Amino acid sequence: MASPPLYVYAVVNAGLALPPGLRGVGRPPVPVRLLPAGELAAVVSDVPPDLRARRRDLTGHQELLLALCAAAPVLPMRFGMVADGAGTVRRALDAAAPAHLATLERLDRRTEMNLKAMPAQDGVAALVRDDPAVRRLAADVRRRPSYEGNVRLGSAIAEGLARRAAQAADGVAQELAALADERVQGAEVPGCVLNTSYLLPRAQAERCRELVDRRAAELRDRVELRLTGPLPCYSFVPVEGSRVAAGAAPRPAVVRS
Amino acid sequence: MSTTTTYNEAAVCVPRAGTLYDVLELILDRGMVIDIFVRVSLVGIEILKIDARIVVASVDTYLRFAEVCNRLDLNEDASSRTVPDLFASMSRGVATGGARRAAKSIGGRVKEAVGMDEDDDREDEDDERFEEEEKEKAPARKRGSGTRSTSRKTASKKSSSRSSRHSKAA
Repeated sequence: MASPPLYVYAVVNAGLALPPGLRGVGRPPVPVRLLPAGELAAVVSDVPPDLRARRRDLTGHQELLLALCAAAPVLPMRFGMVADGAGTVRRALDAAAPAHLATLERLDRRTEMNLKAMPAQDGVAALVRDDPAVRRLAADVRRRPSYEGNVRLGSAIAEGLARRAAQAADGVAQELAALADERVQGAEVPGCVLNTSYLLPRAQAERCRELVDRRAAELRDRVELRLTGPLPCYSFVPVEGSRVAAGAAPRPAVVRS
Repeated sequence: MSTTTTYNEAAVCVPRAGTLYDVLELILDRGMVIDIFVRVSLVGIEILKIDARIVVASVDTYLRFAEVCNRLDLNEDASSRTVPDLFASMSRGVATGGARRAAKSIGGRVKEAVGMDEDDDREDEDDERFEEEEKEKAPARKRGSGTRSTSRKTASKKSSSRSSRHSKAA
């Protein structure tokens, strides 16, 4: 008899007692449970029908992981990972158990803080004042107004704002790195000049926030700083959680979307 | 520049889900992957991310920045001819207003690009109502020490988005 497919949220130590009432993705959000496998356990739920990356599903995934993180070290899964049955989950955990246990220990009492930086939209006046190249373009456009000239000028302004923001954000990024155990450069995000995640002891999270609040106020006319966290340690888990085990476990045929 | 395409699959509302947008790329692109698992389809999201980039670096945005800059210059000229203080303060006001408009238009374009129609909107509202009920039923879930600052931010974003919707309806 084949067991039903399972949505997998996270990998935790087997000893963890799930706080009661936890729910995951879907509408209404489905209850979650532990699926033990040796010294590890997966946090799983049924797969709701018509599962997609809706806002409520993403939020459900995120909120559940936040609740788990508050209690114990957690290896968060990427959104949307579905196993074709309990056997597959157990096999995957068994095969990579030593690596997972080591990562759980490394993440114990630690948290991820993510810093994003965007150009300050109100900085046009300051940029024109300080940047001779932009001033020159502006003067050209005023002498000979043209569509192309305006596009060139606007594009130079957008670039200038981004450059000033990146410079300002860089200093803050260095300061945060001094508080952190590890840092990871994130993917490029539209509109952002910086996207970096930091792994910090939980106890440092508040200090980190105070620092960023202070710098955000000081650098307001250059850069908009957005600090998110404490977060599940998305950026500090091995990406391919079972790569170590490739070949060790029999691979069921699965259809990848 | 036309970026209007209908995305039936796009289901995430970027501008309104403030906190979620900040962590979207973490939830979708980081975290652990187990290669014998399957992943749910993210078709709509991919389109949305690409589209947001086009919008941010659009000619429309450039033209608005240029407009802000051109006004700035005019006012500075005026101020050098006449009463400096009076006009200096005026030019500051104009500059800020113009840039705000430019920024606002980016938000509006993203919303457009997401292809949010009435149905999506209604669905999102239902979502929010549902989440609120959940919060009342199980406050412990959202109020863990780890989520403090995040949920504070969410609450303020939500209330502001709700009030703007009310004013639209009125």
